[in-house]
Amino acid sequence: MTGLSPAGYDLPVYEYVRPPEMTGKPAHRHKVAIVGAGLAGLTLACDLASRGIACVVLDEDDTVGVRGASSRGICYAQKSLEIFNRLGIYPHIRDKGVTWSVGKVLRGHDVLYRFDLADGSLSAQPPFINIQQFYIEWFLVDRIRELGRTDLRWRSRVVDVRQETDFVTLRVETPDGSYLLEADWVVDASGHASRVRQSLGLSTKGELGEDRWCISDVRFQKDLPVERWTWVEAPFNEGRGVWQHLMADGVWRIDYQMLPNTDPNEASRPETAARRLRDQLGPDVAFELVWVGAYSYRTQLMDDFRCGRVFFIGDAAHVKSPFGARGGNSGIQDAENLAWKLTLVLTGKAPLALLDSYHAERHPAAVENIRVTRRSGRFMAPRTAMERLFRTALLDLAPDHGFARQLLNTGRMCVPHRYAPSPLTTGDAGMAVPNLRLDEQHLGDLLAGEGAHFLALWCPRSPEDGLGADLRALVHEGWPLRMQTIQAALPPLNLSPGDVLLIRPDMHMAARLTKAGIEDVRTALARASGHV
Amino acid sequence: MLTDPDGFYEALLDAHAGLSTEESQALNARLILLLAHQIGDQQILTACLRAATQRNAP
Repeated sequence: MTGLSPAGYDLPVYEYVRPPEMTGKPAHRHKVAIVGAGLAGLTLACDLASRGIACVVLDEDDTVGVRGASSRGICYAQKSLEIFNRLGIYPHIRDKGVTWSVGKVLRGHDVLYRFDLADGSLSAQPPFINIQQFYIEWFLVDRIRELGRTDLRWRSRVVDVRQETDFVTLRVETPDGSYLLEADWVVDASGHASRVRQSLGLSTKGELGEDRWCISDVRFQKDLPVERWTWVEAPFNEGRGVWQHLMADGVWRIDYQMLPNTDPNEASRPETAARRLRDQLGPDVAFELVWVGAYSYRTQLMDDFRCGRVFFIGDAAHVKSPFGARGGNSGIQDAENLAWKLTLVLTGKAPLALLDSYHAERHPAAVENIRVTRRSGRFMAPRTAMERLFRTALLDLAPDHGFARQLLNTGRMCVPHRYAPSPLTTGDAGMAVPNLRLDEQHLGDLLAGEGAHFLALWCPRSPEDGLGADLRALVHEGWPLRMQTIQAALPPLNLSPGDVLLIRPDMHMAARLTKAGIEDVRTALARASGHV
Repeated sequence: MLTDPDGFYEALLDAHAGLSTEESQALNARLILLLAHQIGDQQILTACLRAATQRNAP
């Protein structure tokens, strides 16, 4: 991996290969076609490949990231890291990235609030790793190639989509001209300006925020703790907000809040960026700008994340402002949610109805993420004099009052959505279970491997508890299920003897059954796999 | 029920004595936040917000 050179990042270039559809070789109808090889699309392709499902990926570019730009997501949350662990790329992310858990909120030189996300964390993966998005995409492409099931097609731009009765036709433009590709299912992961969406005549509700920000990715010689610092009112940015945290290659991301009427071209001029940095770092610190770019917040949401045989994941389906790293991370969770459902349906283990639950679960997750990020945005950019007055009051109270520190909303870090209510969830469940250590292995290890299966974690009442034989009978009936006994009182699960937890392939809890009988398990399993 | 309603009202006014409008507004904002924390009940706060907002309606 070459990474950062004095000329910027050296990103891999992937070779365009003339597709079989254009060489007269027999072309087959693909089971799944993914449009867009970004974070969400590649996660889905890798997840499907790891489960034994072949698909074709179409990307208009021939590299990772956005050519020449290091911007985009840098914070990867625990849930994403658990997914990447299952996909086999977590060790690369851990070794290349920056593991952090401490955040501080500052006003001037005073620390108003400090939090440590590692407090109470029970997962094998840390709360966060910072790394440039293109490295994740790079690891995913390498892993997809290693798995050897996926047809990755570069410089292939999808320009038209047509839904047939029981398949979808895509028109794909390549350097050799265009061709038609057929697929049973299409997943659009092509980002906020999706042509798939436009081609199907689907709208997305959205707004462009007034708040302007300017990112400077920079390297400098100054020892700072590996922590995420947020200034609500930074003296070196005319009293406006600033974010500062470290990612791979010793590059710091510093994000400056601008005035709403700031000219983005002026704000991102190297001289302007250098002046801001000089104010922040002091006169004696040498620095090197890696990338500078201005942007404004955008919110978008599709009404339906599915249209016939086309699903929408990641930014194609929903866009929100970057507070709490809820963009990229929720796209990764979209991909995981869809991957196991497609796998069960394509392998005949679940009915088509299971696919309806993708929208039913991920649309509310997007609504929640948009609500949470809007609130942070309103805190960071008060809209009126009165909103500013209340924020100032909170900042004034924060040093002496814990409740006021809780209200300092500089971004609520991304957490997995709880699928409740959901057509798949039974009772008081739906929450993600962290990648806990269970005896010899971790929970995620029990859910890895080809295909997709549920896991019944159960706590026997006695060594000869008959529930074990009953559960085994369910497996023999052909249900996608494995079972594992665990000890009672394992936090945070805290089972009692006779309890069964039904864990989904994405480590969300489908049901928590107390004093369970086998019919309770069967009913919950049927529900969780789309049978009712 | 306040044991000394008039006494509270006087103390509230005294707290603002000598402040500019701007300083008074800042004091009120801090006070609202502190009181909200002391009340600590989302339903009561929602009801208070509603009652206070209705007074503004034409």
